[in-house]
Amino acid sequence: MASKGRLAVEEHGRSDSYRVATLPNVRDDNKTADGMYKSRRKNPKRKGDNLDDLKQELDIDFHKITPEELYQRFSTHPENGLSHAKAKENLERDGPNALTPPKQTPEWVKFCKNLFGGFALLLWIGAFLCFIAYSIQASTVEDPNDDNLYLGIVLAAVVIVTGIFSYYQESKSSKIMESFKNMVPQFATVLREGEKLTLRAEDLVLGDVVEVKFGDRIPADIRIIESRGFKVDNSSLTGESEPQSRSPEFTNENPLETKNLAFFSTNAVEGTAKGVVICCGDQTVMGRIAGLASGLDTGETPIAKEIHHFIHLITGVAVFLGVTFFVIAFILGYHWLDAVIFLIGIIVANVPEGLLATVTVCLTLTAKRMASKNCLVKNLEAVETLGSTSTICSDKTGTLTQNRMTVAHMWFDNQIIEADTTEDQSGVQYDRTSPGFKALAKIAALCNRAEFKGGQDNLSILKKEVNGDASEAALLKCMELALGDVMGVRKRNKKVCEIPFNSTNKYQVSIHESDDPNDPRHLLVMKGAPERILDRCSTIFIGGKEKVLDEEMKEAFNNAYLELGGLGERVLGFCDFVLPSDKFPLGYKFNCDDPNFPVEGLRFVGLMSMIDPPRAAVPDAVAKCRSAGIKVIMVTGDHPITAKAIAKSVGIISEGNETVEDIAQRLNIPVAEVNPREAKAAVIHGSELRELDSDHLDEILRYHTEIVFARTSPQQKLIIVEGCQRMGAIVAVTGDGVNDSPALKKADIGVAMGIAGSDVSKQAADMILLDDNFASIVTGVEEGRLIFDNLKKSIAYTLTSNIPEISPFLAFILCDIPLPLGTVTILCIDLGTDMVPAISLAYEEAESDIMKRQPRNPFTDKLVNERLISMAYGQIGMIQAAAGFFVYFVIMAENGFLPTKLFGIRKQWDSKAINDLTDSYGQEWTFRDRKTLEFTCHTAFFVSIVIVQWADLIVCKTRRNSIIHQGMRNWALNFGLVFETALAAFLSYTPGMDKGLRMFPLKFVWWLPAIPFMISIFVYDEVRRFYLRRNPGGWLEQETYY
Amino acid sequence: MTMKDTKHVNTESTNLYERPPSLSTGQSIKTFLYNRTTGAVMGRTASSWGKIGLFYLIFYGVLAALVAICFWVFFQTLDPRIPTWQLDRSIIGTNPGLGFRPMPPSENVESTLIWYKGTDRSNYAHWVDSLEQFLEVYRKPGLTPGRGANIHNCDFDQLPSPGQVCDVDIKNWDPCTKENNYNYHKSAPCVFLKLNKIYGWRPDYYNDTKSLPEKMPRDLKEHIVDLEKKNALELNTIWVSCEGENPADMENIGPVKVLPRRGFPGYFYPFENSEGYLSPLVAIHFERPRTGILINVECKAWARNIKHDRVSGMGAVHFELMID
Repeated sequence: MASKGRLAVEEHGRSDSYRVATLPNVRDDNKTADGMYKSRRKNPKRKGDNLDDLKQELDIDFHKITPEELYQRFSTHPENGLSHAKAKENLERDGPNALTPPKQTPEWVKFCKNLFGGFALLLWIGAFLCFIAYSIQASTVEDPNDDNLYLGIVLAAVVIVTGIFSYYQESKSSKIMESFKNMVPQFATVLREGEKLTLRAEDLVLGDVVEVKFGDRIPADIRIIESRGFKVDNSSLTGESEPQSRSPEFTNENPLETKNLAFFSTNAVEGTAKGVVICCGDQTVMGRIAGLASGLDTGETPIAKEIHHFIHLITGVAVFLGVTFFVIAFILGYHWLDAVIFLIGIIVANVPEGLLATVTVCLTLTAKRMASKNCLVKNLEAVETLGSTSTICSDKTGTLTQNRMTVAHMWFDNQIIEADTTEDQSGVQYDRTSPGFKALAKIAALCNRAEFKGGQDNLSILKKEVNGDASEAALLKCMELALGDVMGVRKRNKKVCEIPFNSTNKYQVSIHESDDPNDPRHLLVMKGAPERILDRCSTIFIGGKEKVLDEEMKEAFNNAYLELGGLGERVLGFCDFVLPSDKFPLGYKFNCDDPNFPVEGLRFVGLMSMIDPPRAAVPDAVAKCRSAGIKVIMVTGDHPITAKAIAKSVGIISEGNETVEDIAQRLNIPVAEVNPREAKAAVIHGSELRELDSDHLDEILRYHTEIVFARTSPQQKLIIVEGCQRMGAIVAVTGDGVNDSPALKKADIGVAMGIAGSDVSKQAADMILLDDNFASIVTGVEEGRLIFDNLKKSIAYTLTSNIPEISPFLAFILCDIPLPLGTVTILCIDLGTDMVPAISLAYEEAESDIMKRQPRNPFTDKLVNERLISMAYGQIGMIQAAAGFFVYFVIMAENGFLPTKLFGIRKQWDSKAINDLTDSYGQEWTFRDRKTLEFTCHTAFFVSIVIVQWADLIVCKTRRNSIIHQGMRNWALNFGLVFETALAAFLSYTPGMDKGLRMFPLKFVWWLPAIPFMISIFVYDEVRRFYLRRNPGGWLEQETYY
Repeated sequence: MTMKDTKHVNTESTNLYERPPSLSTGQSIKTFLYNRTTGAVMGRTASSWGKIGLFYLIFYGVLAALVAICFWVFFQTLDPRIPTWQLDRSIIGTNPGLGFRPMPPSENVESTLIWYKGTDRSNYAHWVDSLEQFLEVYRKPGLTPGRGANIHNCDFDQLPSPGQVCDVDIKNWDPCTKENNYNYHKSAPCVFLKLNKIYGWRPDYYNDTKSLPEKMPRDLKEHIVDLEKKNALELNTIWVSCEGENPADMENIGPVKVLPRRGFPGYFYPFENSEGYLSPLVAIHFERPRTGILINVECKAWARNIKHDRVSGMGAVHFELMID
């Protein structure tokens, strides 16, 4: 039973068997000036732009006023309904009774944002410059160099493909409003001017008198004025899964709990009713939730923030270098077209073109891995968000608990017996042979209307579905486990009479024939609210003997009852009575309506208490969260005592920690005298929360480590989430109901339940737990933290090759040497050889137990920080550049151009007119041969970057550990190493590459000069990390640990 | 059911990460440039700058040393006179191109146009001066490295021994002489051609009149046939021909004379970077080029192992002539 939303039942129906102590004694009311709500209705234009309005608690008085006042207020009549004219007037004033979707950004704007955001703009500039350079060359030179044209096309293609890719990623999400609309009924039966009309639900207006029958959806928020056995299913609104009866009586100040209101889009399951429409469309309870859920601005995900930060950083560097060298080129007297080409080169070299795709692929891989562990990630970026989470606001029912009432304790023979509540029946077993238990079991089995549904023979008993109410189902399952065939027992003890449970008697009684053929007596069995049952008993069955129920026994009963109630459990009392055969022979006509048999002076047998027990994996998971520095807050609609009991049993409130109330009780002083700072734990009631301002809430969130919010409303859940976010926490929220959707949306990561979750909650969430299990969140957190670390590594790897890409251009401009590395080869690195290794880092194992450290600080722990840049650009990148230049000079020298010859040669080198450029050995080179040499150098530079990237990839595997410790078990990464090498060889040696990409085959020895640099990268970083490990927190760590 | 290890770790979890105070952009730039409270300039204090500076100084010092060692080792493998890779193993290949002189001024490095006014001394001065500069080393052997000590008077039957270099005959260039302003003033200029030096390259001569290529200009073929009769040894020559590129150019170019002989004598090859080696030259004398019009000239060198390609400049050279 979904106990968390037991908003409207506590004084009615089944929950009457709750002990009084579990009922909240503080009852809040909505004392606000009358008519205020109404006046807001009159300005529907204003309402949309004020989400804060929606965050307020529902504040209406329609359920409190008399029906006459109600009719008067809406100028309506219970028999005739509104007049057509009035209805039309109202419709014009208030608009249709429909949910208004929030304003949406047009699709093309979204697309353009993707097309021009981030690096895209920089690359567009690059492409644009390429086209300009090409068109100028084309118009001035006879046979222009096509390079710029191709480069421009490639750049534009990269941008467009990336743009479409991210647009596609984005467009998949956000169908919240659609899912809400699916809940809205189409038609409604309305009385207008005495006529019964079937109207479209949209055309309903305030004051309309509507008729609803079972199977309908309620077309608006209505005040019931007539009802016949009317029951509604409020589960979509409150999470409460049991149907609740609705009648014209005003029973509760809280509009959600009073009996005389039925809400828009909830289901009528039984009976019929007539009601007056009091709220329409967006102003209905559901409409407000929908408005909140779809209108909330969720802001950027943490990883999106990190990526933006990083893009700004790189763009800054690119623009700075580009502009600087553009100016320098002018000062050095270059032609402006040359300067433009330099600019293109610098931009292309600076932007890690493949990086965004790499990040996306890494996230996708993790998302897949998480999906296999029952976390289905809807929004890709949420993968990482879970890793940064510092607070989890968890729902209780179904997430922390099994969402299944189970017998937890029994009291008979004057002792409390613990029943096994685990999902797999691995817990303690109890003695099933004592006469006390046998008697109790018989009552529980017989005085029970629940039955197993058919066709579930192969399921384990606990997994079977049951027809009937949650407590009876729990008893049935318990008895099935203890006795075996309950149905058989019932068959043998034929039921001859039964009085079902009702709220005045608060008991259920049935009379059975005995299964002993020699015993002609009937057995009367009764269960119900313990104190009521006890009142009807005169004896008690203890140790197989019937004893008089004296004060001592009553005391024992009371203690047991208090103890079980204090555990937050729902307690039922059981008693029986063997009817004397002389008065009640076989075939006696028992009368149920007017009991002609004794219902007093019975024999008390025992108590059984039920709870929705925690899932087995949850305490471990909560402990893991604790050690990972994640605060777990329970937010539930359930009673504080039950909530606290569950919180204690799963470790949300850890052993030995007390709440303010506990301290007060222990010290025997009033609650007000306790210093709240002394209590680490806190159980906050929804009604207290309502009166807190945000400062107080902050204080609670700040100073209590273990918090349980009970009896909370959807709006309050949202307030709690916002409070946590205000504190700087990254908040994960779990929820399953429609009512949770605003909080799910507002949370940094909303987690919906895959099994119990409503469609709306799944739409509002970023992630879905396929098994509804809190423990799966912890796996998600682990994966999220891992991917953050691995993304760092991946980015460090990718950024490193930027330096050997940029520096050739700088040398080209400043030293006038032939270009060592061309733009095409840069793209081959960024979009070719670097991609697979960078992605493979996503598969890297964690270096240490990532669940043993605090969550990252979103304000200071950046994905890309100055230390990473310093490492990638300042250290490893520089070694790589040195390797590239060394190879370049080696090839030039071996072919005839010694380094000294190269400086200052650029103009002649690049001149087509010079067909006889002399090298250091007196050889003379034609333009084409020179260019072949130059492109061979590009290829070799490219290959040497690949070679030094081997070492870079291996050092990026770990940030602190030695590679020896980490091992080379990441086969994706090992494949990446082979792949990049194979690709480099392919690009270099494939015939035709000289024409297409200007890549030329290399002599084997030209692969070698980079090797000393590769080794030195490896050695340098091993030494650095060795030092890091030896001196934790030392200077080197502060400067180089990214 | 409850955890045993939670008590050890839950002490810190009250400290949620605090949002840093938000500053305006201007303010944050100011604090970045100079932070009053910590005395940090650009985000670092003086000692911090010093430490990181020292770190990078050492880092780059070591890196520079590594590079220096690598270069030192690498230079040990180089020979100062013999390129590591030669001919086909080198990228220079085995197909030499041609070079022409005079070349346009260095500001105009992309151009191959020889454009001047024959009547104006100052107008053609650049061309004459640059030619003179180019030929100086030919006229004064002392300017070459080794001061001409190993010059050998080569002939087709007197090949130089290793280490010796052949003398380039500069006497028979008339009218393309310095005294004559290389004939620029007469609007009948001389352009000098040389074959690109490739270390160790040996020409495969067209010394068999029966297998001359089809595309070779007819007058060159005739010349070769004539020469075969006179002195068959002289056929060991890399022949040179110059023609207009297009039919119109062929008409405009007028008669062209190749001096002192119609090619580069074979005894200059192979080039082995011997001290004082000078490329053999031929002077192309355009005797009556049409003035006032741009003439595309293409000169080719002819040997069996020279392939021609106009675009890539293999075995040929292209320039334009325009005389006002």
